[in-house]
Amino acid sequence: MPRRFGRFGGAYVPETLVPALVELEATWRSARRDPEFRAQLALLRTTLAGRPTPLYHARRLSRRGRGAEIWLKREDLVHGGAHKFNNALGQGLLAVRMHKPRLIAETGAGQHGVATAMIGAALGLETEVYMGEVDIERQRPNVERMELLGARVVPVRDGTRTLKDAINRALRDWIANVRTTHYLLGSAVGPHPFPTIVADFQSVIGREVRRQSIRAFGRLPDLAVACVGGGSNAIGTFHPLRRTSVELLGVEAGGPRGRGRGAASLARGSPGVLHGSFSYVLQDADGQMEETTSISAGLDYAGVGPEHAFLKESGRARYVSVHDEEALAAFHWLAEDEGILPALEPAHAIYAAVREARRRPAREKIVVTLSGRGDKDLEVVRRASR
Amino acid sequence: MRGTRERGSPSVVPYLLVDRARRRSLRGTVRALRDAGAVALELGFPFSDPIADGPVLAASHQAALRHGTDWRDLLAALRTTSPILPSAVMSYANPLVHRGLDRAIGELASAGASGLIIPDLSLEESPPFRVAARRHGVSLVLLAAPGISGDRVGRIARASRGFLYLVSHYGTTGGAARGSAVDLRPLVAAARRASPRLPVLVGFGVRDRASARHALATGADGVIVGTAVEEQLARDGRPGSMRRFLGEIAAVRAPG
Repeated sequence: MPRRFGRFGGAYVPETLVPALVELEATWRSARRDPEFRAQLALLRTTLAGRPTPLYHARRLSRRGRGAEIWLKREDLVHGGAHKFNNALGQGLLAVRMHKPRLIAETGAGQHGVATAMIGAALGLETEVYMGEVDIERQRPNVERMELLGARVVPVRDGTRTLKDAINRALRDWIANVRTTHYLLGSAVGPHPFPTIVADFQSVIGREVRRQSIRAFGRLPDLAVACVGGGSNAIGTFHPLRRTSVELLGVEAGGPRGRGRGAASLARGSPGVLHGSFSYVLQDADGQMEETTSISAGLDYAGVGPEHAFLKESGRARYVSVHDEEALAAFHWLAEDEGILPALEPAHAIYAAVREARRRPAREKIVVTLSGRGDKDLEVVRRASR
Repeated sequence: MRGTRERGSPSVVPYLLVDRARRRSLRGTVRALRDAGAVALELGFPFSDPIADGPVLAASHQAALRHGTDWRDLLAALRTTSPILPSAVMSYANPLVHRGLDRAIGELASAGASGLIIPDLSLEESPPFRVAARRHGVSLVLLAAPGISGDRVGRIARASRGFLYLVSHYGTTGGAARGSAVDLRPLVAAARRASPRLPVLVGFGVRDRASARHALATGADGVIVGTAVEEQLARDGRPGSMRRFLGEIAAVRAPG
């Protein structure tokens, strides 16, 4: 398993965590070759997660673009309402294999927290989720879901009070309890081997896109679009397509129009170390992380997964940003055109996809990963629309 | 630094976080710490995401940044403290990486730093930092922690310069969580076998006479006191009080 993607990645962590990272890598190496583990994962993907998810031709949304066809990879239909369960399921099984009775997780939008709470319940593991106070406020429905699912939600009041500081707290908990606890990291970030493991578990998205595109329109799409916070749904989409001719477009949160850099680490940041890996970050002249702003809690993060940094620098993928107002517009487009309420995170990708569709001929096909559903965002959208 | 083994008294290294709001009192504080028996000083550079620090120091990192503390304050602090006590900088990796390792460590050396400690630097990521530190004559101090194998402790001890920083328990700075007590003796012994001349200092959670005595009972050469210094500064940072506070710890003798 490579420690680096080009010059990005690595494991910048206190020594206390090194044994746990080594154990995790060894466990995943043996598990992925173990027919019993693979069978169990495949069975739960079907019977619990609800995979495969459909690839849906969004005809009315495509008409809005007046150009290329737009297809939606429906990760919003995964158990819990987001792609996050793909990873939580896989890592939950790894935790059991490592005999760790306790799970901890960070969450921004709450989707990863919900996914972790669900798998914690299903596997009988104690679960604690760190969540920034700002995010608790704006993603209240997910807090209630986590609690009903038996998880303890720990409010984080440090620093930005969003995802970045939730990860800090989870890392500190892990340092103290590493012998009994698995840190179920929710995005393709963090120290090696997390970016690789998360990408492996999320790659089911891209593999299905490949198969389903060929079935639906006889070939691979011309363009794949996904939103990028830490970047797990995007890497799951891109990774299996990286050696094909499919163009890859990652969409970051641009924040409110005309104010700051939003949370666009790749489009507007520079290389740096955050949460254990060397990647792109939003930082000041002294290397301090900057406050980020985004209407979507799941994208509101100063860093990004190291494989995305590599895909950007190698030119294999492009990264653009979309503003809050544009994401909100796309939220309404999808609701009104297709009867689907997207989460605000993939609404960023929807906006970028429509923008791309306008520039492309009708014969081209665009696949957008619809990474989550929007029920959690109704209050945010209602307030923003006033 | 080979305190307990050669002088019979432990090497005590206090930690101070650089904070612009405290720049006027820094000289007096460091003199008091020296008078109390400190053999060296650790100067912390605040970071936005101090994952190895417990609640007390994490809050201090945030406060220092709110006060506008920046890289120039670190260099100014080094120029103040290094004539009084040998000074090592503790910085998370990113401020060094972002500035460029060679430039950053060169600037620290010019300002008087004799050592550099990076709490989020694992052995695997350390080679470029070691190269840059060697070029500028700065000792890169590596950390070892509970849970790692004797073999790994040995490799870390051989790569570490100045001393080996041994983390005392499973957890962040400032205090041992319940049930996190660890027998450090095998780790100290492994470090000694690999690098007999390298002093071993125990840190994270050494806060008073009892915890210092406990740390020294492992055969270590000294202790690093961080959170407790920070708490004392907040309670009563006058030089006399600081001297009394650290003097208590410096007076501890290794048992046996």
